Amino acid sequence: MAKTIVCRCEDVCIEDLKLGFEQGLRELEELKRHTGLATGFCQGKCCIAHAARFLARLKGGDDMVADPPRTRPLLHPTPVYRLAGELEAEPEGDGEP
Amino acid sequence: MTRARRIDRGPGCPFERGAQVEFRFEGRTVQGYEGEPLAAALLANGVQVFGRSIKYHRPRGPSCMLGHCSGCLLRVDGVPNVRSCEHACRSGIAVERQRGWPSARTDLFRTVDWVYGRRLDHHEMFTASAAINRLAMRFVRRMSGFGDPPSADPPAAARLERFEAEVVVIGAGAAGMHAALALAGEHRKVTVFEADPRPGGRLLDGACRIGRDGGAERGWAHLAGIEEQLRDCEGVELRPGTPVLAVYQGERGHEVLASNRGETCVVDAARIVVATGAHGQIPLFENDDLPGIFSLRGLDRLLLGWGVLPAQPVLVAGGAPAVDLAVELVERGVETGLLTDLEDARIAELEKRQVTVVRGQRIIRALGAKWIDRVELGPEGSQTPELVLDCGLLAAGLADAPAYELAHHAGCRVEFHSESGYRVVGDERGRSSNAHVFTAGHCAGAPDVERAIESGTRAGMACALSLGEDPDLARRLDARCAADG
Repeated sequence: MAKTIVCRCEDVCIEDLKLGFEQGLRELEELKRHTGLATGFCQGKCCIAHAARFLARLKGGDDMVADPPRTRPLLHPTPVYRLAGELEAEPEGDGEP
Repeated sequence: MTRARRIDRGPGCPFERGAQVEFRFEGRTVQGYEGEPLAAALLANGVQVFGRSIKYHRPRGPSCMLGHCSGCLLRVDGVPNVRSCEHACRSGIAVERQRGWPSARTDLFRTVDWVYGRRLDHHEMFTASAAINRLAMRFVRRMSGFGDPPSADPPAAARLERFEAEVVVIGAGAAGMHAALALAGEHRKVTVFEADPRPGGRLLDGACRIGRDGGAERGWAHLAGIEEQLRDCEGVELRPGTPVLAVYQGERGHEVLASNRGETCVVDAARIVVATGAHGQIPLFENDDLPGIFSLRGLDRLLLGWGVLPAQPVLVAGGAPAVDLAVELVERGVETGLLTDLEDARIAELEKRQVTVVRGQRIIRALGAKWIDRVELGPEGSQTPELVLDCGLLAAGLADAPAYELAHHAGCRVEFHSESGYRVVGDERGRSSNAHVFTAGHCAGAPDVERAIESGTRAGMACALSLGEDPDLARRLDARCAADG
């Protein structure tokens, strides 16, 4: 049987999600931590909706699916040199960063 | 299956490219056009496998053509993990594939995929002893990983700029551009960030053009009109090719971090309009990750935007946008098949022209060694194929997933809808759950371009209202919303 890939970045297939669910994982956050789903190069842009749909179907409705896992900066993979510069001018009255 | 070739892009194409140039691909000299995406140039040269996946070493290739997925990562001039769909082709660049042994094209580690046919559970592998685990980790890092470290000297740190903006609009698509126009009409100072080098978002893609009777050029002409209006606006600064990376909640509003190759900026924004659009999606079926399978928008951009046809016949699957794309491909002489559940005059017209139209079937699996060459179809829910079609290129239709991420950074409420994914919650005036953040367009669930435009205009007006009272503007906005009934 050929694989149905849900998350291409981390090679997570539908069987991984099914097994996770059988083992008692019920939330997107749990599936993410167990399988590595949505933690790859694209940061979930191609798989979060699929995984949430998978849960909605098994749990019996869209409203059974909780909020998505926290979306962490940065949204796109970014080379460090781009963030390594020094700010030219701080606006007045700025406190601690 | 015919070989890769270039097709006519038609008049008025908004994607600019320069003269033909030569560059190096793994020791070969290949041709492309200056400024076109590197991925498009390589596909036009018949390159099919761009890399290997992280665990099973399955072949990978471009699929979204919009900088959303990870299929097209290459090593360019000694820098690993460059998204080749976003990287402009230039004369003399040196391009290599990464991952795979002895090469990405022929990779012996693919055997992992075959040995573990269903799935490989790596959680408890090599955990018997710490020494074995260390050894296994070294090996796995070598064969997976993200390519080799850069061999090129790192560039100097980017110039970092900080400035204040009354309003930051994230995304210069249909909704974002109209929000900026509405705000400029109320004399507000607006900075618009757009990730793509070419502003326009969905207006650039033929399948999603306004109306459905024109052809790709109609959407492009409409876009040119909006761009001209924006250029004439005082107080609107458009920064294309500059993706927003993060939105932070600051003490005096929000801080928006955006960056392009030369410059990084932090913007203190009193208000934000999130109009980030949506990410292309591919439905789930067996071997859905095979190179040659694209999102509808991805294939639209590749074929009609950049004029590259990697293989034929093309199978287009999905609803109305799929029919749009199929019609345009047939008009351009591309061998096309259509998989849809719709019935309309245009589909009947396609059938008259000997186009294969299949109804009531779903894709069960894609077949092919390193690039798609056939698909097996069957009724919904069935795993037994009833029909096998030759297919050199597949655009698999599924509603794009709203790009909710940056609104989520700002703490806005999002909610899930099965048909597309998580979307930003906004009212009919584009107000999100955060009083300083407005939302419009596809990221907030607008189903088509026309409604994206309307939602952008409303969000722009509502945003202007939140910055200062204006009874006349309030009346105009009320009237617009009342028109919905």
